[in-house]
Amino acid sequence: MSQSLRPYLTAVRYSLEAALTLSNFSSQEVERHNRPEVEVPNTSAELLLQPMQIARNENDQVLIEPSVNSVRVSIKVKQADEIEQILVHKFTRFLEQRAEAFYILRRVPIKGYSISFLITNYHTETMKTNKLVDFIIEFMEEVDKEISEMKLFLNARARFVAEAYLGEFVY
Amino acid sequence: MDQDWRRIDIDAFDPESGRLTEKDLIPPYPNNVTLQDIEPTINQLRNLASSGDSISAIKLATSDPPYSGDENVKYQYFLAVMTALSQVKQSDITNIIKQLSPKQQDVLIKYLYKGMAVKETQKQGGVLLAWFEKLTQVAGINPVVHYINDRKTV
Amino acid sequence: MSSDKSIVASFKLVKGPIYSHCFNADRTILAITSDTNCLVYRMNGTKKPILHATLNNHDKTVTAVDISIHGRIVTCSQDRNAYVWEPLSNGTYKPTLVLLRINRAATCVSWAPNGYKFAVGSSARIIAVCYYEQENNWWVSKHIKKPIKSTVNCVAWHDNGIILAAGGTDGVARVFSGFIKGLDSKDAVVNSPWGAKFPFGFLLKEFYEGSYINDIKWRCNLEQLAFVTHDGALNVVDSQNYYAQVDSPEGLPYRALTWINDSSILTAGYNCHPVLFKFNGSNWAFAKNFDKVANTASVGASKKAGPPVVPQKPKSFNTNDDNDEEPQSFGISALKKFKELDLKGTVTTNKVEKGAHDNAISELAVFYESNGNVTQVSSCGLDGEIVIYSI
Repeated sequence: MSQSLRPYLTAVRYSLEAALTLSNFSSQEVERHNRPEVEVPNTSAELLLQPMQIARNENDQVLIEPSVNSVRVSIKVKQADEIEQILVHKFTRFLEQRAEAFYILRRVPIKGYSISFLITNYHTETMKTNKLVDFIIEFMEEVDKEISEMKLFLNARARFVAEAYLGEFVY
Repeated sequence: MDQDWRRIDIDAFDPESGRLTEKDLIPPYPNNVTLQDIEPTINQLRNLASSGDSISAIKLATSDPPYSGDENVKYQYFLAVMTALSQVKQSDITNIIKQLSPKQQDVLIKYLYKGMAVKETQKQGGVLLAWFEKLTQVAGINPVVHYINDRKTV
Repeated sequence: MSSDKSIVASFKLVKGPIYSHCFNADRTILAITSDTNCLVYRMNGTKKPILHATLNNHDKTVTAVDISIHGRIVTCSQDRNAYVWEPLSNGTYKPTLVLLRINRAATCVSWAPNGYKFAVGSSARIIAVCYYEQENNWWVSKHIKKPIKSTVNCVAWHDNGIILAAGGTDGVARVFSGFIKGLDSKDAVVNSPWGAKFPFGFLLKEFYEGSYINDIKWRCNLEQLAFVTHDGALNVVDSQNYYAQVDSPEGLPYRALTWINDSSILTAGYNCHPVLFKFNGSNWAFAKNFDKVANTASVGASKKAGPPVVPQKPKSFNTNDDNDEEPQSFGISALKKFKELDLKGTVTTNKVEKGAHDNAISELAVFYESNGNVTQVSSCGLDGEIVIYSI
């Protein structure tokens, strides 16, 4: 693991562990409802806790918004150029379309971020908290690697296509 | 969209709704700090930082932050704290953190999170993360837990 | 299972979380909440308790259960209702609906020590004090509304059955009078340090803490009150503005506490094991961990560094971080990993040992007490376990 990545992930790990102290909390606003307080507008302010933003630089950020019964984790994946932008978009969309298979994945990222997760008390009750944290950390570790690999692959493919195509014209 | 009466939050207009707003959560302060009040501290902080006395600088920065000030006051103070933080040598960080009281550590983490949230200082993310890592090595998860529950913002 | 000596017994009763549990006076009956039901068990020594009744009148999550000294069970739920279950001679229970008159979830319930009334906290920013009305044959309630500003998380009666402590998400611990005319006698609160007058619903004292109050308990002979808050602190207060606060050594907040004796308090919560705090004459301080797992979840980068050795991986997927991806898996390995993690929960951390609870502890209760000294404590957790610890 590179030097600068480690403190970043450590910060995310600590922040997540502190935020994942959720309880089963029924809505104060709507009768007989139990909703993730971080997602609903017009909620009582005391139910939201201080948001935590962890940034390595302008392009590499995580926003963790804790509340009494849910935590929203949004990740901004590094996008250095247009190819990476497209790749990140495709990649996160691929996952988001299959969100139900990933339980904690949010179908739409919040504004300004590439991908968002929503963890509620039902998740912390049925899954191990430290594994949830590991999952997010692991995802963050992998996604950068994945995007740069995809970019290399894309370039290699482009080169191959170009060679094959232009090869037609070589005598 | 705002004109759409279906979207009006009626409960917000009901004084009996009992809903707490963000303002209600801020603990009452005896007096509001103004820029003039905080100016000497900011200058002192900058002097300490530039003279290389980083221990005193960080201690000063984390002992009495302007919780009751308005956004501008907080921002000016925050910039001074950022300067102080970035002047410290990597190797000294752990040592300084060890000399802070738990209360001061709680304040420090607020500035670390704020530093990573504000656009102008995000570039220093590496420095802030180094502080963060050292802080959690010394104090564990406690300052983070305090931070998310604390309504006093910097 | 851990080999810690402090564990007397541990029962895995249900799959889902147990938010609340309660034993009857002679510790032969155990009631737990499980989803929308309340399950009643007969204790069977250190063997698994035997299920003996299912109280299933609620249609939303049951949040709390309590048993009175007479054996009546009260349950309350997020469906806004509470029921009192009267034990019948044939072993079944007869439910009576309580007229709570609240329009949000009921969150916590506690019988007064004499067993003739109980208090229900709710998300409607109300505490309902309920008592039986002979003429109409039902349980009615009186409301304490002011100045509660948010959901009530916990209520606790003083031994005198009149003073009531409550805490909630507004971050203020409050002490009220729960005096019911015709039921309580003023004699119980003569010379009480908490006040001179006790009209119903009167606010006797409040303590501002700022973060959510998760649990609150009395030490009546000392007239002290202890509560745990979401910022990871244990607070001890009394009527004379004494205020002591001690931080959780591991940082994570507590969900529950119970007094062990005049100078010790046991707490438990998101760190999944009980922690003992002691009063050393001037301060409260951390004293002891129970059943602490050595290499637990905790935080730290060290364990993520270096090539992790994964014992007994179910399949031979190569997911080690340090290995370069094989050409075949090139391109979708993160997705695969993501999926695999999701489905199998396999991660690259090695866990050495498992504690009695492997999820947060939601409630602690006294199991065995002699001469004001608690020697055994029971706990319930989000992992569906009931554990009895010896202190």
